[in-house]
Amino acid sequence: MHRRELIKMIGLLTGAAVIGTDFLLTGCKTSTSSVQITPQMVALLDEVGETIIPATSTPGARAAKIGEFMKIMVNDCYSPSQQKAFTEGVSKLDDECKTHTGKPFLEASVAEREKFLIHLEEEAKKKNAENRELDNQKRKDHDQTNSKRSLAEQKEFEATPEHYYTMVKQLTLLGFFTSKTGMTETLRHIPVPGRYDGEMAYNAGDRAWAE
Amino acid sequence: MADNVYDAIVIGSGISGGWAAKELTEKGLKTLMLERGRNIEHVKDYVNAGKESWEFPHRGGRTQQMIEDYPVLKRDYPLNEVVLDYWVNEKECPYTETKRFDWYRGYHVGGRSLMWGRQSYRLNENDFEANLKDGIAVDWPIRYKDLASWYSHVEKFIGVQGSRENLAVLPDGEFMKAMELNCVEKEVKKRIEAHYNDARKMIIGRSANITEPLASRTNCQYRNRCWRGCPFGAYFSTQSSTLPAAMKTGNLTLRPFSIVTRVLYDKDSKRATGVEIIDAETNKTYEYKAKIVFVCASALNSAWVLMNSATDIWPEGLGSSSGELGHNVMDHHLKVGAGGTIEGFSDKYEYGRRPTGIYIPRYRNWGSDKRDYIRGFGYQGGANRGRGLDIAEATVGSKLKEALSVPAENWGMGMMGFGEVLPYHDNKITLNKNVKDKWGLPVLDMDVELKENEFRMRKDMKNDAVEMLEAAGVKNIYTYDDTSAPGMGIHEMGTARMGHDPRTSVLNKHNQVWDAPNVFVTDGACMTSGSCVNPSLTYMAMTARAADFAVSELKKGNL
Repeated sequence: MHRRELIKMIGLLTGAAVIGTDFLLTGCKTSTSSVQITPQMVALLDEVGETIIPATSTPGARAAKIGEFMKIMVNDCYSPSQQKAFTEGVSKLDDECKTHTGKPFLEASVAEREKFLIHLEEEAKKKNAENRELDNQKRKDHDQTNSKRSLAEQKEFEATPEHYYTMVKQLTLLGFFTSKTGMTETLRHIPVPGRYDGEMAYNAGDRAWAE
Repeated sequence: MADNVYDAIVIGSGISGGWAAKELTEKGLKTLMLERGRNIEHVKDYVNAGKESWEFPHRGGRTQQMIEDYPVLKRDYPLNEVVLDYWVNEKECPYTETKRFDWYRGYHVGGRSLMWGRQSYRLNENDFEANLKDGIAVDWPIRYKDLASWYSHVEKFIGVQGSRENLAVLPDGEFMKAMELNCVEKEVKKRIEAHYNDARKMIIGRSANITEPLASRTNCQYRNRCWRGCPFGAYFSTQSSTLPAAMKTGNLTLRPFSIVTRVLYDKDSKRATGVEIIDAETNKTYEYKAKIVFVCASALNSAWVLMNSATDIWPEGLGSSSGELGHNVMDHHLKVGAGGTIEGFSDKYEYGRRPTGIYIPRYRNWGSDKRDYIRGFGYQGGANRGRGLDIAEATVGSKLKEALSVPAENWGMGMMGFGEVLPYHDNKITLNKNVKDKWGLPVLDMDVELKENEFRMRKDMKNDAVEMLEAAGVKNIYTYDDTSAPGMGIHEMGTARMGHDPRTSVLNKHNQVWDAPNVFVTDGACMTSGSCVNPSLTYMAMTARAADFAVSELKKGNL
């Protein structure tokens, strides 16, 4: 699977354009400032990622060092407002989990974790849809103002950041399926195929190509 | 021979410059090839060619820093971690936009021959007659037959894979064994061709990827990582093909970091005498002398060089006497098309990553077809089997992982149009002397837009794609018509067009600047009209033809 299709797939799955990929202008005043993503957060994100993509017969997101990957991506590829939404969201993840399951995330069982994340996903979808609605109106005003500006002075519209869980899920899928374990153990990867066959037999259950 | 004197100077080392260097050196001329950027050595300097996704910190994505550093590149896919080194430093080399123009530049040895899409098509007979028939712009001073043997010459040397189709709209060439259509493409082809009684064809995209060994180059290994640079030399680039040939003659001197500032011109002899350069690293100025100069700096920069030259005689630059220099900017317009999914191929998959797709040659305004616009478009696209699109149920956990680890049930099939843009006199570039680049040189200002003919064509480009996909049994069809700002086709053309008459064109039928016959412009700048096919093969053929003419004129003492 080509990288662009992976990104398209993740976009479809999470209902939002994937941040830090080819197809999105993260339109904002850029900044290289890093936000504080603590080792505790990284450890928590490893577990959240592992709940989304767990170890089965093959390693899961934790083995792909998904927390560390998220830290790099958020620091380098996210805009300041996206960074803020991400860290603020992840900071309250444990509290929300307690409210929902009665336990901090790390103490919850797999079933409880999954149930909680499914709840978060529902919440994220709702919130993202609301924000998109509001953004559409704002974008119209923005475009109108922009059209009166010279080309050089035009600014890109900065959309409201997605719900933090949408970000976490995107990063988990992107990070896992581009990791060494994801590409070579869960999927199949051949760096130098050497030939082309456009009608190779496929049997149900055969792994997909990573690239 | 003094060390700054050569027989020939070639400005630029990309697709056209590389060909000029090869042809001129093989014909015995001591040739200096000037490249404004750094050297990139074949294989050795393709630093990302062998890397896997996980070896890139952002997995091939883009950082906020990259977005800040590349205000133009960020507008589309070219900005990413994998090929970042191959794009121009926009801070050092700015330009201005009266109207939005997406200019994607590669300033290094090989130019955009390293990153090009490799699609290789001949223009057809009608393309060369179209301006005359339509009564627009000026007539091409050459016809298909003038270029046909040069297309063959080029194809044999670079290696083009493709299928022979015997179509007037897309003349066959000297092809290597064609890459295979996959099982879905074969079926879609069959259904489309049956539905339109062969008035529309679907073929493998002809590309400069070799399917058999050629010289010291290895055949394609189906990695589809071409634009990182190919360690097998399996696609045509200056580095893999023309540069080694030119080097082999012993007649080539390659000078990187050489920004040509102007062509030197002697008004008494009415000839260029050489060029002036700035060394990009030391900022020192040098002059090089030669009997002939090939300007192959890419369409817009070739015009820039001319506009910055001989201004004491022609204030608007060498070759400006017609008033056409820098005008008639063309590109191809694209990013409009459709796609969907097709059932019935769940027991088939692909092995290998084929570096080309399908091509649907132009059929609009062809034969008896007549539309409310002139010219036409072709489609590029293909079928493949993605994954993970049918898993609405699982959002988390092992079921999600499993669903994303196998291919999707159904294949996807898509096509995107590439349309001809007409040559409009008021689509132009000019020197902006108020803005300077890192070396204090004036920059280009872009004033180019798509017009009514292109917008009308885009409606067909979208609707026809849907109609053909429906005819082929494709389901869940989606369409798109995204902004296509000029430049995004990365097929800039027309800024120093060829013509019959020095009053209305910059170049004659041999690519000589009317005002300086020992100056040849053979890159996209020379195009009198744009056709709808990818243009690089034509630049190569045009360059080889002009080089042959230049050397024979030189021998006759005419230059």
